[in-house]
Amino acid sequence: MNRQIARLGTALLVAYGLLFLQLNWLTVFNAQDLKDNPDNSRELLRTFDGPRGTISSADGVILAQTVASAPGDRFETQRVYPEGDLFAHSVGFFSLNLGTAGVERTYNDELAGETDELVFERLSDLFVDRSRNEDLTLTLRKDVQEVAKAELGEQQGSVVVLDPRTGAILAMWSFPSFDSNLLADHDTATATAVQVFLDASPDKPLLAKSYRERYFPGSTFKVITASAGVQSGQVTATTPVYPVTNEYIPPQTNRPIRNFGGSSCGGDLFQILKVSCNTAFAQMGVDLGPDTMISTSEAFGFNRDIPIDLPDPARSNFPTDFDQNLPALAQSSIGQNDVSATPLQMAMTAAAIANDGSVMTPHVLAETRDDEGSVVSTFEPSEFQRAVDPSTASVLRDGMIGVVGPGGTAQRLAIEGFVVGGKTGTAQLGTEIPSSHAWIIGFAGPPGLPAQVAVAVIVEGQPGASEQTGGRVAAPIARAVMLQALQPT
Amino acid sequence: MGRLRRTTELGLLVLAVIITTGAYTLASLGRDAEIPANIGPFLALLLGLFVGAHIAIRKLAPNADGVLFPLAVLLNGIGYVFIVRIDEAKARPDGLAGYQLTWTALGIVGFVATLFVIRRARDLERYRYTFLLIGIGLLVIPLVPFIGREINGAQIWVSIGPVNFQPGEFAKIALALFFAGYLVERRELLAMSTWRLGPLHLPDPKVLGPVLVAWAFSLVVMTLEKDLGSSLLFFALFVALLWIATERVGYLVIGGVLFAAGALFAWSTFAHVQDRVEIWLNPWPVAKDEGFQVVEAGFAVADGQLTGTGLALGNPLRIPEVETDFIFAAIAEELGLFGGTAILVAFMLMIGAGLRIAVRAENPFEKLLAAGLTTLIGVQSFIIIAGVIRVLPLTGVTLPFVSYGGSSLVANYILLALLLRISDSRSSRVAEGEFESVAT
Repeated sequence: MNRQIARLGTALLVAYGLLFLQLNWLTVFNAQDLKDNPDNSRELLRTFDGPRGTISSADGVILAQTVASAPGDRFETQRVYPEGDLFAHSVGFFSLNLGTAGVERTYNDELAGETDELVFERLSDLFVDRSRNEDLTLTLRKDVQEVAKAELGEQQGSVVVLDPRTGAILAMWSFPSFDSNLLADHDTATATAVQVFLDASPDKPLLAKSYRERYFPGSTFKVITASAGVQSGQVTATTPVYPVTNEYIPPQTNRPIRNFGGSSCGGDLFQILKVSCNTAFAQMGVDLGPDTMISTSEAFGFNRDIPIDLPDPARSNFPTDFDQNLPALAQSSIGQNDVSATPLQMAMTAAAIANDGSVMTPHVLAETRDDEGSVVSTFEPSEFQRAVDPSTASVLRDGMIGVVGPGGTAQRLAIEGFVVGGKTGTAQLGTEIPSSHAWIIGFAGPPGLPAQVAVAVIVEGQPGASEQTGGRVAAPIARAVMLQALQPT
Repeated sequence: MGRLRRTTELGLLVLAVIITTGAYTLASLGRDAEIPANIGPFLALLLGLFVGAHIAIRKLAPNADGVLFPLAVLLNGIGYVFIVRIDEAKARPDGLAGYQLTWTALGIVGFVATLFVIRRARDLERYRYTFLLIGIGLLVIPLVPFIGREINGAQIWVSIGPVNFQPGEFAKIALALFFAGYLVERRELLAMSTWRLGPLHLPDPKVLGPVLVAWAFSLVVMTLEKDLGSSLLFFALFVALLWIATERVGYLVIGGVLFAAGALFAWSTFAHVQDRVEIWLNPWPVAKDEGFQVVEAGFAVADGQLTGTGLALGNPLRIPEVETDFIFAAIAEELGLFGGTAILVAFMLMIGAGLRIAVRAENPFEKLLAAGLTTLIGVQSFIIIAGVIRVLPLTGVTLPFVSYGGSSLVANYILLALLLRISDSRSSRVAEGEFESVAT
């Protein structure tokens, strides 16, 4: 019997040897594959229940913080968003099963205390029980954001307000929005149900349209066409004088471009800007040619990845394949054809004019602080691209100020005691019942000083297709947010 | 010789207690960066409990094997640390750690009582049919209406008032006792080969009866109680003992064939068996549903890498049933390949010690019993670890001494006492000079 017992021992030894081999396989050789498996949420969980930095607005309001969970929750901490839907598109959410969005995603390492410099510090004081999480202060201001929300009301659209001198975003609101708290629910079934519900809505409440959705910019794009003209030297404040006409027939076609309502317009640069003269700008674009139009719009940020510190910004689009298709170029020069832009891009366009032609890198982060309140890092403003020379910007600036003046389409943008420039737009949607996106872009500042605020507002799907729509619908919203943004915090 | 064994045992025991206390402290440091407040009483309690048992061994079985008990204490201790750690991590601790400490104390009581009551293991041989009845009775109780309970799909629990227990854990010892006694009685008859099939000598078909009965019995357990693990364990135990007793390989072959037939029957008949096999072969399509437990166990082990995440620094709560069947995944996660291997080595050492006792036992009944009890521990540990790390389809049984569970812990301590008793009966005779020529 002893021989059998010895063999039994050998058999069990072999069996345990198999276990040992499999354990090696799982812990060493196959470990990375298992960690990278999409079903593996352990990495997220590792950071999920840990401490996490607070996110505050520029005016000191808490936008996101981690608090103790309700009794009975399987996690110790719960991420909460005291402002509900007000900052959902920028602050984002921190969800157990839906991942992260917004600032919660782009600054996850700082919030979770996992940045490289802090890991290095952590090694040096391994046994010191100290939080490594950084608190974020954003450039967003709750007061401006609230005005944007109130003014836009129940109309679908977006408002982007930024400081042209730094690229700091002061407000960024899109309607409809969503409540971040619902997606941060620890009950994954609830969070998923909310997501499915929001995803099913045609109004796309989850989408931060302000920087992730593209629209026809309509006449607001004429600022870029004008910039291209002035920058190229072919257009000045006084020359050429475009003929007063009610239609312009580009080369290679007999389909005319008309002015809104069939009206006639023309004149010098300031005059055609003031009344948003389609025929003149279409002709200007054709005269400049595709290369100048493409290079100038790209200098403003079209066809470029916008280096904003928020996830997945959309690229604005200006066609690059005209190939001497001049009718398409004529259409594009007045913001139609295949031109599309995010509200953020149009705010950056106004800001570039206000900032001597320099497009600053748009950002929402102001600074990060450690748990003792001392500043760890500050967002250093930097130029993203130069759109046009300062002299060109100066001409355009005067032109846009004229649009807000008497006889201009953006008169409702005027703020007493401030220098305000703007440009309206009405992007016709070609729907059966005429409707259009109402646009306005603009800037404002105290007399004699650089503009302190730039804005873009789009109100989607407005009835009618008159060039007055942008000035009537969008301008009051833009005026209200700029007025608020001009108040010191 | 006995004195040396006891000194070794005490040394190893203190080492096991130190390792456990160290792990307990590390888990507390990992959890909230504090040395546990009750570290003194904890150490005293462990020492009191286990050194108390050690003193009882000195009195009751002075020449018994000196390695088995410290190994059990080490496994028990590591398991306890993990149960505390898992319990503390829950949003609502359910106090499993406190119960486990009670079960450990009860296990030690059972261990000492077994040593006290059973002075010679061979005396048990004559009660073999009593053990058969006890074994069957214990296995059948969970099927009795009102007191039997189904938990997590297996009808293997008995509830009497507030007490729940798994009689199957005790049944396995009773059945080992019965098999050993029965096979000693019948081994010569069973070993006679009356016909040949190729190279195999097969016994008369009518003595095949017991094998078929054991096989059928295993199938019944599996069918009625849906307890795949125990079914496999009983059958492996019986075939192994039959083979050892008769020295006929033919029984292994028959056993293998019957196992294959039984497995095929189970696979084709029961959806849950098919699920287990599919999850084993490819868990990914059902990673969020039926395969969740096994997939999460794999992720946990992968997180462990070489040295583990550290005690209380992993996420074992992701795995359902982590305190019981899946505790090995938690250990591999937080102690890594090294810690997991240490557990494997501890079981291999236990198997080695147990089989050594079997080899050295003179009495055939004791020899078979020791081999059977060792097979129980070795095979049970193997099938659950293999299920957790996907070497085999998952069959839910506890990991002896490590998993949470009163029945399992008490039964395994009693099993251990029987092994120690067998080793002592031979040693004492060696010590008395009966077998000086073969004394080692």
